[in-house]
Amino acid sequence: MRQAFVIAVADLRLMLRSRLALIGVATLLLLSGIAALTSATQMAAAAKARSAAQIATDEQFKAQPSRHPHRMVHYGTYALRPVGPLAAFDPGVDAFTGTVLFLEGHRQNSATFGAARESSDLVRFGQLTPAFVLQTLAPLLLVFLGFAMVARERESGSLRALLAHGAGARAILIGKSLALSAIAMLALLPALTALGWAATQHPGEAGIAALTALAYAGYLLIWVLGIVAVSALARTSQAALVTLIAAWALIVVLVPRAAAGWASIAAPLPSRVDTEIAIAADLRRIGDSHNPNDPHFAAFKAQLLKKYDVTRTEDLPFNYRGALGQEGERLTSQLFKDYAARADAIQNAQSARLAAMGLLSPALAVRRASMVGAATDLGTHLAFMSTAEAYRYDLVQRLNGLQASAVASADDTARSRDPTAEQRTRISADFWKTMPEFRFTPLNPAARATAMLPAMALLGLWLIAAIALLVLAKRRLEGPGA
Amino acid sequence: MSHLAREAWLFGRSRSAVLAVLLLALCAAASIALGLAIVAKDKAAIDRMLAGQPTEIAALTGFVKEAGDGAYYGFQPTWDPPSDLAFAALGNRDIAPAMLRIRALALEGQIYENETANPELALPGRFDLAFVAVYLAPLVLIALLHDLWSGEREAGRFYTLSALPLARQRLWVPRAAVRVGGVLMALLIPFAVGTFVAGTAPPRALGFAGLIMLVIVFWAAVIVLVARRGSLSAINAASLAAIWFALTLVAPATVNLAVNAAVPVPDGAALARENREDVHAGWDRPRGVTMQRFLALYPQHSAGGTVPPTFSWKWYFAFQHLGDLHVAAESRAYRDGIGRRADLARTAGFLLPPAGLAQAMAAMAGTDVSAQLTYQERVRVYHKRLREYYYDFLFSEKGFGPADLQGVPRFDPDRG
Repeated sequence: MRQAFVIAVADLRLMLRSRLALIGVATLLLLSGIAALTSATQMAAAAKARSAAQIATDEQFKAQPSRHPHRMVHYGTYALRPVGPLAAFDPGVDAFTGTVLFLEGHRQNSATFGAARESSDLVRFGQLTPAFVLQTLAPLLLVFLGFAMVARERESGSLRALLAHGAGARAILIGKSLALSAIAMLALLPALTALGWAATQHPGEAGIAALTALAYAGYLLIWVLGIVAVSALARTSQAALVTLIAAWALIVVLVPRAAAGWASIAAPLPSRVDTEIAIAADLRRIGDSHNPNDPHFAAFKAQLLKKYDVTRTEDLPFNYRGALGQEGERLTSQLFKDYAARADAIQNAQSARLAAMGLLSPALAVRRASMVGAATDLGTHLAFMSTAEAYRYDLVQRLNGLQASAVASADDTARSRDPTAEQRTRISADFWKTMPEFRFTPLNPAARATAMLPAMALLGLWLIAAIALLVLAKRRLEGPGA
Repeated sequence: MSHLAREAWLFGRSRSAVLAVLLLALCAAASIALGLAIVAKDKAAIDRMLAGQPTEIAALTGFVKEAGDGAYYGFQPTWDPPSDLAFAALGNRDIAPAMLRIRALALEGQIYENETANPELALPGRFDLAFVAVYLAPLVLIALLHDLWSGEREAGRFYTLSALPLARQRLWVPRAAVRVGGVLMALLIPFAVGTFVAGTAPPRALGFAGLIMLVIVFWAAVIVLVARRGSLSAINAASLAAIWFALTLVAPATVNLAVNAAVPVPDGAALARENREDVHAGWDRPRGVTMQRFLALYPQHSAGGTVPPTFSWKWYFAFQHLGDLHVAAESRAYRDGIGRRADLARTAGFLLPPAGLAQAMAAMAGTDVSAQLTYQERVRVYHKRLREYYYDFLFSEKGFGPADLQGVPRFDPDRG
């Protein structure tokens, strides 16, 4: 082991003297620093803007004047997806989804206003975030600094001299790996600082932050070991470099994109319009509130009349229109829920395919672990959407309930003909103040940590593969013709 | 020609070089196949929407009694059909909707809707020919050309070869030409097949092929400049990979940050909320004020402009439109901000040829941000036609029957 340290120190000294290596490390640190700072300021600004917007929309709702409750159903409210606690480190899909959802009666809207749609086409070249630096840029820097580590010694003949002087192949490879690991640690530093800073803002996230740091450390270690192994296995440093750049392009650039394209075709998602048309058709079949002779609503009415032992809806102890609104909303919302569950299942299947492709690319595995940890993944967005839908349903049904209980049936029937009856259907503004506010909290840290495990396990497999490659390289060095 | 043939033969004997070009061709072919599949999926979705429309209209016919019902309940399809080059540069069609059904209500509450899509699939970027040409092809080119001279030097043949009479014309130029040609073939042959399947107009196909060639020529020039400096092969490869990395990954991401910081875009959520506030305030605003403001814009409807004190569709649609006008300036600023960002990014493209050419490809394919903004403009133009069709019925108080539902203006993807 002492030998390994001696070799590691010698290699680091060599790198310190190499201007190119220093420039490379400095560039990475600079980029990492820029990424950490801009990402932190951007996400902090987004978090502030969204929570301010949520407060503003809640206040606007409560400040509405006296009016008919059905008007409030259409006035609706907005749900804003809060920024995840570690989003400054890895914003994940935040930019690629809408962040604002309009909640109203009878309709299920999509989330609108995301950063990607508000950016130029350059946004598709990748966003400079600490996670992007670690996933994409850091491995390439390690390739540049490490490709020649062993190959150079072989080309200059010093490898044979080292081996002849009793330095074991094992010590050489471990020493080189240690030296490159030191660089990897340095590369991790700014991003980890960003992660640590985010964790201090949200103390509950410290465990997740540590797990995320572990995932990235493992990811970079895979690269370190792989690079040293390839450098030892290649005949020339040129061959080592070309192989490693090809591997990098494949793992970091090609596979993630190809996998995403494949997943979108393999598990096609119905369009929003497909869903709207299907829901409209289903509604016409099971209960069409526009049709006065609709069997479902006729049965609903008959059942109510029977229950309260009256013959006319006007004699019911509540406003029938409110109850009718509740029944209509119940039917549409159930369909919204069913179709959303199907679409969510397809999206989750797409993402599962992407996760399985982590077998081909550790970059996909570490991205998954990182996004899940930061609560900036698809799952968090879908959870937000379904929480908002549940909230929408509850709000609309409360308002329909107010129409049933607080608006007189006779006034409600006459309001479109009689302005004074219309005035009486306007119920007190105080009711709006009793409505609950929208809150969304992502999965708790423990659940997210569990969800990170499959991706972490894939990284573990990759680490084993990298070690196996290094062992192979050691055998080759020990064999004849090293 | 014999020099070219010899170099082509030599190239064919290098297993790694052939493998690299074949892999590139495979990636290009896969990207074309995927692009065609995605475009077919987009088209099928649009067709399904249009095929579903008669059923929607038939359902409306069942209960629509007056023009206001048709205007309120009648969703009309609008769409942005993929162009004949979209398969090669899929651009932003995955994050901005290509279909939107709208109605005559305030448009600001409708036009920002998004398509249902898995954001994790959008995150890594598209796998299309533009990506293969801008990201992967340069790396293959670097692998093939970085040791053009240094490889021979390291093999000890350089001085012998250079001493040949006319070494440049007989050796280096044909050798580089064969390798660049191989890379071009790997991209252009799959592309040609794609244009054939997609039925791309020949001038457009040639234009796109020209952009691909520009990417390759740019990188070939950069590589030759670096490779001629006389460093070791490994140093050449590392410098070129670093240049690629800076131009293709780091600089565009940094410019994106800078552009977004330099051009603020108004808060969309605030814009939508403000629109809703004004539309709903319409219910409580004195009716005379609403109608006066509306009729100032549509004096031709003044004759039918009186409204009863009870609910009336003309009053309802008047305040819907006033709600749009209330935020017109913010909405304009929002779109202009995005357009300005796209312009700045295009300008930056002149300094960053890979990013510039990628944007040019998306622009030619009609899949870039500007194409999205154009589609939105067309939706706005169409929304105006749609509203005004109904205004004629509402304000003249003429009857509205099933035939009039059929007569609702249809969206024209070329004009709106």
